[in-house]
Amino acid sequence: MKKLKIGSFLTVVVTLLAVYALVKWGIPAVSREITTLPFPLPVPGTLMFMYMVLTIIALFLFVTFSDEGLDDFLRPVRKFLRGGYGKIPRAVILLAIPAIAGWQVYENTVPRVEVPASLRIQHPSSNFPRSFEALKNPVANPSDADIKTFVEQAKANEVSFIPQVREDIDNWAEENDPEHVLEFFAVAPVKKLLEQVQSGKVDMATAKAALLEKNLFEGRALYAMNCRACHGDSVAGDGPMADGFKLRPINFTDNGTIETIVEGYTFWRVTNGGPGLPTEATPWDSAMPEWKLSLTEEERWKIILAEYNLAGKTPRIPESH
Amino acid sequence: MGAARKILASAIACLGLWAPVMAADTPGKPMPEANEQLVEKGREIYFARCSFCHGLLGDGEGPAAKYLDPRPRDFTLGTFKFRTTQSGELPTNEDLFRTVSRGLTGTAMQAFDSDLIKNGLSEDERWAVIAYIKTFAQEFEDPELDPVKTGKVVSLPANRAPFNDETVAKGKAVFEKAKCWSCHGKLGRGDGNKEFRKDDWGFPIRIRNVTHPWKIKAGSEVEDIYMRFSTGISGTPMPSFVKSLNEEDRWNLANYIKSLQHTLTSHQALKANLVAGALPEAPGDEAWNAAEPMDMRLTGQVIAAPRWQNPSVEMVTVRALFNDTEIAFKLTWDDPFKDVTHDPSKEFDTVELAKVGGFSSYVETNGMIPRALETFRDSIAMQFAVKPPQGTKKPHFYRGSSSDQVHLWVWKADLAEAGKRGTEEGNARGWKQPIKVQGEDNQQITGKATWDQGRWSVVMKRPLKTGDKNDVQFTKGVFIPMSLNAWDGSNGEHGLIMSLSTWHYVVLEAATPMSVYIYAILAFLIMGALGIWLMRKAENEAEETT
Repeated sequence: MKKLKIGSFLTVVVTLLAVYALVKWGIPAVSREITTLPFPLPVPGTLMFMYMVLTIIALFLFVTFSDEGLDDFLRPVRKFLRGGYGKIPRAVILLAIPAIAGWQVYENTVPRVEVPASLRIQHPSSNFPRSFEALKNPVANPSDADIKTFVEQAKANEVSFIPQVREDIDNWAEENDPEHVLEFFAVAPVKKLLEQVQSGKVDMATAKAALLEKNLFEGRALYAMNCRACHGDSVAGDGPMADGFKLRPINFTDNGTIETIVEGYTFWRVTNGGPGLPTEATPWDSAMPEWKLSLTEEERWKIILAEYNLAGKTPRIPESH
Repeated sequence: MGAARKILASAIACLGLWAPVMAADTPGKPMPEANEQLVEKGREIYFARCSFCHGLLGDGEGPAAKYLDPRPRDFTLGTFKFRTTQSGELPTNEDLFRTVSRGLTGTAMQAFDSDLIKNGLSEDERWAVIAYIKTFAQEFEDPELDPVKTGKVVSLPANRAPFNDETVAKGKAVFEKAKCWSCHGKLGRGDGNKEFRKDDWGFPIRIRNVTHPWKIKAGSEVEDIYMRFSTGISGTPMPSFVKSLNEEDRWNLANYIKSLQHTLTSHQALKANLVAGALPEAPGDEAWNAAEPMDMRLTGQVIAAPRWQNPSVEMVTVRALFNDTEIAFKLTWDDPFKDVTHDPSKEFDTVELAKVGGFSSYVETNGMIPRALETFRDSIAMQFAVKPPQGTKKPHFYRGSSSDQVHLWVWKADLAEAGKRGTEEGNARGWKQPIKVQGEDNQQITGKATWDQGRWSVVMKRPLKTGDKNDVQFTKGVFIPMSLNAWDGSNGEHGLIMSLSTWHYVVLEAATPMSVYIYAILAFLIMGALGIWLMRKAENEAEETT
């Protein structure tokens, strides 16, 4: 069997290039396929440095394993230095190496215009008030009294809605002349409630499910009016205003965002916005408004209900529960 | 097969050849037959995802609609802007599919393709919602109006002209001949008309600035552009050129429009370039060519009432030059109308909008504020942190904070037009209080501005250092936080109804210290000497062995 043999010098060069290419382009490309994110995961410079140092150590061991090995490695180098590959290539390379070294030193020392780096903590907790920790979303967990009131309203066909959605519902009712106002709901729990209202026997579980749908409907409308411009139609952090912000609005469909925090935390962030953040979360760069200046607590909770629902996520359960 | 394809894709990716990410805006199969079940499924999706803008009746009057420009489509009329069918015809199913899938760039209508958006809609779901949307307009029931059956589809011909200087130049001639400039302006900045145009629904529309690809709703690629002037845009003054221009002309024109698109810079720190001698005062001065531009994106002021999500100024290009004593900034941005009057009596009273639990804290698109010519002025403000940042700490980008004030350089078109100074220096500690204008003695900025072909160019100049502790001071090599506020008067903007940017930086270039060159030369010499020594050594060894 004939063995394909390249000199050990070339082997070293090819290995170094191959490892560099793998770390520089291979890892980001594969990471993109694995994570299915629209961008590659970058390889930090220090990691690249460590990989290359390890490779060089390994190659050094390989080359110096025996005297013959070292000789094998140095033979083409010596031949080159003696001008065995021609005098002109020797002159070019002996000039090019110092030139590259000089250029590298220049590149690394010349002052550059680079934005000062700033670290930012995504979910700071240093000033998160403990009283918010165990808060439960009242519109996601309605009391029996709330449900009973809703049933009474449904039976009397006098369900009250927030003013922001009333005009659209009224227009719909005028056009469709429904027997019951809730008929515009294209969801099963409300349809079931309407059947039960008609038969006169409404059970609490059905009523609760329908009330949640009503709260969700109102929450979605409030989201579309207040939050959509930045966080987007599909809570993906890509609303029409998003491109103007250096700190992009959060994409709630991403893992590790709203599902990793308790509802009380979400409520606190919505309530106090960027200015409510501690220093480590760079409040001066956050465009998140202090919604307590515009929205009532109930409106904020309804929005949070809709936000989790649109994202297809559930909040983390507080530890004390 | 999916897994195999993925592996193949990663293999290709590893080789550094990127497989283009194809969004599925063309359906894998034709629209399924619209039976009752499909329509009901579509109704459920529409109820949860579309009705808040488009309305429960599909009339484009959902709760969020009044705050949007462009307004959500009214499906009941059967008039659709973005089609591949002849002027005035209904869209094809695939046209609706494309719009639902990829959305309309720069508008509230975003992509719903589940390949693009994690919680988007699958192809089946998109067909279902389209089946439901079609029930809103009776026109879709009439087979005589079906654009496919009646042969009214405008196909995209395969003879696309290559994109090169020649076809672009030919396209420019078509742009002249077809009088595109009469609306879109000689340079495509949407400044051709001297007054507002209205759409079929009576709302003022903005003529597209074709140089801003992030605002071209139905796509900024050559094929998309070709289709727009082939089909026209229903409900707007944009006509179809299918009869007046042949295919070749249209391809060339599309290439020309594509060539006008601006490519945004991506850096966040503006380098002020050092010049010898006097700084240029006029915006048109050739000395500005020496300054490196930085594009700054702006967005609607949606942080506090009165919130505004229909900003006009979405990009400002900034340049800076300095000498031993002064610094000058040049700001350029596109604005189709030169608004140089200001009527304070028409300013909007924000009290109602600023209440907790009010109906909405956003300004309505039409009706609340006058969006008309000769009402409010155009204006721009540069904002700087007064103190250089300690660590990363800065004032809030929206007018600073009570503990950390900002310095504003405001330029007002009406003052400049009236022959006054045009610039006002002021300070702010948060948006809740109006900008506090500095005393006359501390007004040290001089400004000059021009408006030409739909573009403002403003120069503001000031000494590098002032004695005032409320002023930003410029020192070489220090990164100074800088941001912008901008107002387009004819878009109704004034007060906090404006567009703004987040923090960028400006830094005055510092001369490269001599040591940098010395180190580089030293490295060269050491490596060179080492090489020669090795060479000599090798040659000597060779002689010894022979």
